[in-house]
Amino acid sequence: MSMSSPAPPSGPSIGESAKAPADAPASSSDWRRLFSLREMGVYYALILLVLVLSVTTAYSGRPNYLSVLNVTNVLYQSSLTAIMAVAMTVILITGNFDLSVASVAALSAAVLIGTADAIGFWPSVGAAMSVAVAAGLLNGVIVQLLGINAFIVTLGTLTAIRGVVLLYTNGHSLSVSNPGVIEAMRAFEEGRLEVALPCIAVGVVLIIVAAAFAFRARRAREGLPAVCLGIASGGVCLIALGAFQREALTLPKPVIYMGIYAAIIWFALTFTTIGRRVYAVGGNSEAARLSGINVGRYKMGAFILCSAAAGFVGVLFASRLRSINPAALQGAELTVIASAILGGTSLYGGAGSVAKTIAGALLLFTLTNGFNILNLGANYQGIIEGTVIVAAAAIYTVGSAGRRK
Amino acid sequence: MSDNSEVPLARLEGVAKTFPNGTVALRGVDLEIARGQVHGLLGANGAGKSTLIKILSGAFQATEGRIVWKGQPVRWTSPREANVMGVATIHQHIPLVPTLSVLENIFLADEGPWRRDASYRERFNDICQRVGYGLNPNSLVSELSIGQRQMVAIFQALGSGADLVVMDEPTASLAAEERELVYRTVRRLSKVEKKAILFVSHFLDEVVALTDCVTVIRDGRAVMRADTCDIDEARIAEAIVGRQIVAMERATHDRAPPPAKGTPRLELREVASPGKLQPTSLKLAAGEVVGIAGLLGSGRSELLHAIFGADRQATGEVSLDGRPVGRSTAAAVAAGLGLVPEDRNRQGLVPEFELWRNATLAMLENVSWRRWLPIRRREREIATEAIRKLQIKAQSPDVLVTQLSGGNAQKVTIAKWLFGDVKVFLLDEPTAGIDIGAKTDILMLVRELAASGKSVIVVSSEFEELIAVADRILVMRDGRCVAERATHDTSEHELVLLAGGQSAAAEPAHRPSAPLHHGEPT
Repeated sequence: MSMSSPAPPSGPSIGESAKAPADAPASSSDWRRLFSLREMGVYYALILLVLVLSVTTAYSGRPNYLSVLNVTNVLYQSSLTAIMAVAMTVILITGNFDLSVASVAALSAAVLIGTADAIGFWPSVGAAMSVAVAAGLLNGVIVQLLGINAFIVTLGTLTAIRGVVLLYTNGHSLSVSNPGVIEAMRAFEEGRLEVALPCIAVGVVLIIVAAAFAFRARRAREGLPAVCLGIASGGVCLIALGAFQREALTLPKPVIYMGIYAAIIWFALTFTTIGRRVYAVGGNSEAARLSGINVGRYKMGAFILCSAAAGFVGVLFASRLRSINPAALQGAELTVIASAILGGTSLYGGAGSVAKTIAGALLLFTLTNGFNILNLGANYQGIIEGTVIVAAAAIYTVGSAGRRK
Repeated sequence: MSDNSEVPLARLEGVAKTFPNGTVALRGVDLEIARGQVHGLLGANGAGKSTLIKILSGAFQATEGRIVWKGQPVRWTSPREANVMGVATIHQHIPLVPTLSVLENIFLADEGPWRRDASYRERFNDICQRVGYGLNPNSLVSELSIGQRQMVAIFQALGSGADLVVMDEPTASLAAEERELVYRTVRRLSKVEKKAILFVSHFLDEVVALTDCVTVIRDGRAVMRADTCDIDEARIAEAIVGRQIVAMERATHDRAPPPAKGTPRLELREVASPGKLQPTSLKLAAGEVVGIAGLLGSGRSELLHAIFGADRQATGEVSLDGRPVGRSTAAAVAAGLGLVPEDRNRQGLVPEFELWRNATLAMLENVSWRRWLPIRRREREIATEAIRKLQIKAQSPDVLVTQLSGGNAQKVTIAKWLFGDVKVFLLDEPTAGIDIGAKTDILMLVRELAASGKSVIVVSSEFEELIAVADRILVMRDGRCVAERATHDTSEHELVLLAGGQSAAAEPAHRPSAPLHHGEPT
């Protein structure tokens, strides 16, 4: 697969066309490109899938698919994968790769479960996170200093770190018994928060931001930045959700963690100098280096972010089950990478988007969820998921064929 | 030398080439290549040498004129066809498959069904004997030195049974002793094997020492044809440069006098890089433009990369306004250095970024709120300003850089540094491969920068440009600085001579292999 989206983040220019002149009137091709299958495909697929599932469930007399409960369920199931997938997007943008995330998450979970009884919940969270960051450091050092391909290095650490998990747990399941620790874990992971008011607040903020962009664009006689539309419609949806659902609108804590974390990464990639440089490093690392960017630091940072995210997922996972099986999360890295690819992240670096990656993760988990709800049996699931991933890759590749020289 | 009474092996008659876009590369060149002779082909960049080679090797077709091969007019439509008829071309960037063995590379074009053919070994040994050089046929090409790879390429040419071997700058990237090996092989091939060799080179001394006759091309025409024994390096240099062209106005004389003494803007102390650059020292005043003249592989880009901290192995000290600059590109940029690299697509631009995002990449913090939130409006203003100031032909700042033409893309790589606090510009071949209009714009810009107190180091292989913009010119060859001239004291002619060899040979122990003599070695 080749370059996909033209690096959506990095400034409010998200939807600005490459070809169209700056004047607003000529931007219809701009909009057409913006809403093309290649740019928005993952959203279309998600919407289509949800529609199909809602109609089918409605006709076959099953409970409403689009109920708050079911939707938040899907969000809950996908939250761990989405957290890792967002970090994976960052590392893919820098032109690297991390296969070891699931093993790192399992190691962090094992460290948490193994030490929590002795030293308490929060200190052992610290220990688990430090172990994860150390794993990222190890990956990064081997890739950056020895210059070995990231795919090979992390394939090695994927296996080796899983081996460390086995050693540490001695092949058995571990669990926590200290009631204080169990209480702390439940407080950290379980339960739902009412989010109607925050939803409305965020929605209002988004609409104000969109209006500010639109106003500024008008004053500068530029076309209406497409990002305005996206932000504004997101804001309207959030307000509507908050207003109609009120108390019923609750979200599990991991979803909230995921939302906050993804928002931070999205903001960093889209609006900060760090984000711009991350894209530059992945787009052309030599050009970035000769522009005075410390390329090694950014690539190393992406490895550490990726492992830290995996470590956090391990903490959430361990808190959820309060025990750890040495084979936990095996194979999860593939779902993580598939989410990023569905979101149009380029395996060659330089392009990728947090929002689309999350949509990709949601798409995969909606598929699984739909299969369960419709009782279609898990046998077909693999075939469908695989087809979706390859089809997505095909759309991105074919769609971008004309864009690069 | 033309004592060969028989029909010449190859004769080009009035060969001309006009490209579909209207560029005229060759305006009718006659060339005669005889068996048993080494024919030198020389010319400045863009004179039409490579086009001529490509026509001879079948990669291009001539628009006019004809090739007579062994007395028969021929028309080659593909390199393969020319190859079968007996023309082998050794390209400058040796195209070998690094993961295959020497033997497999040599017989790569062979069409037998088996990967290992017993006859290969015999033919290989035969070639070794003929050339008088041994190689392990089983070692992988990736393990060989560049000189050995060059020999594999020569073997490849011989393995195809060619009568005419075209060598495009075969020594440009070789070390002295490796060059010697190539020379020996070339002489042997022509004198013993009676092959015809077309030898393209920029190094005047080797052309004089090695060839039997010489053709110089300028502006698509053959301007000199002579037997090598009748001429010397100076004559060749003159022919390459031609009459003094007053293409660009020489503002040399009404330039401000060299700035007052004091701390130099940029000072290099013994800057070196192992294997690439000999220790070089240099002082650069504010508002001064220093040109670096040198051929490909002379260490000129390496010098700029060493100054800019982009070369990790580099040693020595670089200081700006008396303060030492750290050894990283980030430190160099922070100190006020800006590098416009040689290969804009590979080293200069991010293809996924629009013009405006490329234009501000190097000084992102200057256009950012509190140094961490880039302000898009300010960035676009800068891009618009760059388009206006550098006359970049782009509809808007939103154009992707991959959609710009070469000259315009080059201007974007320069624009990257224009709006920051850059004090010293390092320009590596800023005018390579771009049209004359863009060239003039860029050269004017260099003078403007100097007038506003910036210092500039310009590397170029087009020496007339250096004479047009620089205050003084350093000549590099083989990774070291071999001469320094004030611009008003030198000429393109002299620079060609210096970069191509003469005074380099005058310095002792510089290139032990430089003095070559006719005759059979060994």
